[in-house]
Amino acid sequence: MNTAVQQTDYDALSCKVSAISKHYLPCPRQIEECGFRDYSGIQMEYIRVLRMLSRRAYGKISRAVSSTMPVMNYGTYLRTVSIDLSIEEFMRKHQDEETQILNLGSGSDLRMIQLLARFPKTTYIDLDFQESVKLKAKVLRNSDQFVNFFQLNSSEGEEINTDRYKLLTADLKDVPRVLELLSRIASKKVPTLILTECVLCYIPQAESQQLIDSVAEYFTHGKWVSYDPIGGNKVNDRFGTIMQDNLRESRHLEMPTLMIYNSPESYALRLKNISHNIHIQIMWDYYMNEVSDEEKNRLKALQFLDEIEELEIMLSHYILLEATW
Amino acid sequence: MEIDSDVPMQDASEEPLDPTLDEDSPEFQTQANPGSSGIADHKSSKPLELTASNIGQLDQWIEHLGKCQILSEEDVSRLCKMAVDVLQFEENVQPVHVPVTICGDVHGQFHDLIELFKIGGPCPDTNYLFMGDYVDRGYYSVETVSYLVAMKVRYPKRITILRGNHESRQITQVYGFYDECLRKYGSANVWKMFTDLFDYFPITALVDNKVFCLHGGLSPMIETIDQVRELNRIQEVPHEGPMCDLLWSDPDDRGGWGISPRGAGFTFGQDISEQFNHTNDLSLIARAHQLVMEGYAWSHQQSVVTIFSAPNYCYRCGNQAAIMEVDENHNRQFLQYDPSMRPGEPTVSRKTPDYFL
Repeated sequence: MNTAVQQTDYDALSCKVSAISKHYLPCPRQIEECGFRDYSGIQMEYIRVLRMLSRRAYGKISRAVSSTMPVMNYGTYLRTVSIDLSIEEFMRKHQDEETQILNLGSGSDLRMIQLLARFPKTTYIDLDFQESVKLKAKVLRNSDQFVNFFQLNSSEGEEINTDRYKLLTADLKDVPRVLELLSRIASKKVPTLILTECVLCYIPQAESQQLIDSVAEYFTHGKWVSYDPIGGNKVNDRFGTIMQDNLRESRHLEMPTLMIYNSPESYALRLKNISHNIHIQIMWDYYMNEVSDEEKNRLKALQFLDEIEELEIMLSHYILLEATW
Repeated sequence: MEIDSDVPMQDASEEPLDPTLDEDSPEFQTQANPGSSGIADHKSSKPLELTASNIGQLDQWIEHLGKCQILSEEDVSRLCKMAVDVLQFEENVQPVHVPVTICGDVHGQFHDLIELFKIGGPCPDTNYLFMGDYVDRGYYSVETVSYLVAMKVRYPKRITILRGNHESRQITQVYGFYDECLRKYGSANVWKMFTDLFDYFPITALVDNKVFCLHGGLSPMIETIDQVRELNRIQEVPHEGPMCDLLWSDPDDRGGWGISPRGAGFTFGQDISEQFNHTNDLSLIARAHQLVMEGYAWSHQQSVVTIFSAPNYCYRCGNQAAIMEVDENHNRQFLQYDPSMRPGEPTVSRKTPDYFL
């Protein structure tokens, strides 16, 4: 089961590379508002080194990228940009303060590079399964560009633990271990953004609730940003059960809470113990309301999006949650 | 994720993923010039005549394809050459008579096409009109389009196959048919043959002068059905213009013409549909092109119907499919159906439908 979950990092990475290669990303807002620099260069450097280190991983990603549909590029674009803008809002609110970012189940995500470069008072923590951390650490340690950036002084080491960037192993289902780790590396008092991007959906209900409650309680001030699928709660909506069946059958991947937190309202309940300020949006609404007409036209020119109804179905089953306390 | 520096297996196959991004990667690279397959090099001056040997050959292909097995490249070539000599003589507005069963997108969902024939009755006992989009997205585009083309050649008066916006060189390179041909035949030859053949597909049909059938919808450049008859359809689907619109447009709740969210074609309102039906003395526009959850959907106060015949589209959308029977008295009946079980198909061999994970 852990392996099946870990493998989803390939999906996320190949989706992102595809969206970059088709120029969905970076978008003007990422550059202008989030101040991203060399966005595709950083991602491609990661892929270049990954290719040298793991031909299997590279082969999987390469094949997936070559067959990515426009629908997927749209969804990846929305997922990535909505999270980036939500993080940006937090960073601006705490502009002159120390901040921490905790990415739970970070996989190959490279957001830390943009954020650490721009915010000198920020500490960034990536937590994931051992194998994912090992691979990411190896890639970062084998690139001159990344070695310089993180000021890594050794090419050895299965984790990374510098003053400002920590890439550490944790099974998120083992909540006591996560808390023990946090107590060593994260300050309770510093405002902290916690990101779970397609992570909570793979964790059983009790453990995921315990993770949310315990981690959020640890930090005095925080913002939780979570992106996940929801199963759908409308009559005759079979998307969620089909998704569970498809992923179970072909990949042995379980989504234990997909049909429990199947609507924005029920998903928001997960954060109710820690926040009275919860904002949750369906990604289709995000696309309709938050993406400007000008930007929609830019996207439309990138690829023919024939499948607009399918896009609506897909995006109606993913949400972005933001909760502050 | 394991780190394997040297994995000598198919899994490690490297396909080009250019680490330096093209500044300007063209979405569509036409990899073949229209006509390069040669299937239309020796067109007949009169429609194909079915002989005993032709019929025997076609029946054999149909039986083979009916088991979801592909034809050899040579047989696809022979089939496409025969099909050119059927389709080149059809009209831009192909006349069709009742009774007929009208179907929407199939998209390579071969097993669901077989289910469709179970629900609607076998061809040629039942007359069929398909409104395009046979290929892309599903995993059996080759089998699906081969089967329908073989049926068309075998029973030319019993089945009508229109062109959809996916029956195009450009779209099939993005949405799967091109890759599927490469995977199943090892080269793009079969893709070239079929996409050359698509140029000959009729673009609309008219059922007893009353029901106008087409894949997408109306065009601001087309007011009368006679104007469709004047188009030169034997070409790749253009990026704009009347032929493009007929294959790409959608009805909309807003009146008048609108910009399509798809990047091609237009949206058209009830005023446009009613005017078109009035001008051309039609009772209905039947079209496909859009996924609708019940398999069919009325718009514009029943001036337009959308029919979609791919259940659980892309193996993940959870929709029903439908077909529309029109009987001798022009009564209409919708038949809805769910995805067929796919017995004997090992699920592990199926690619997982894409999700954001």
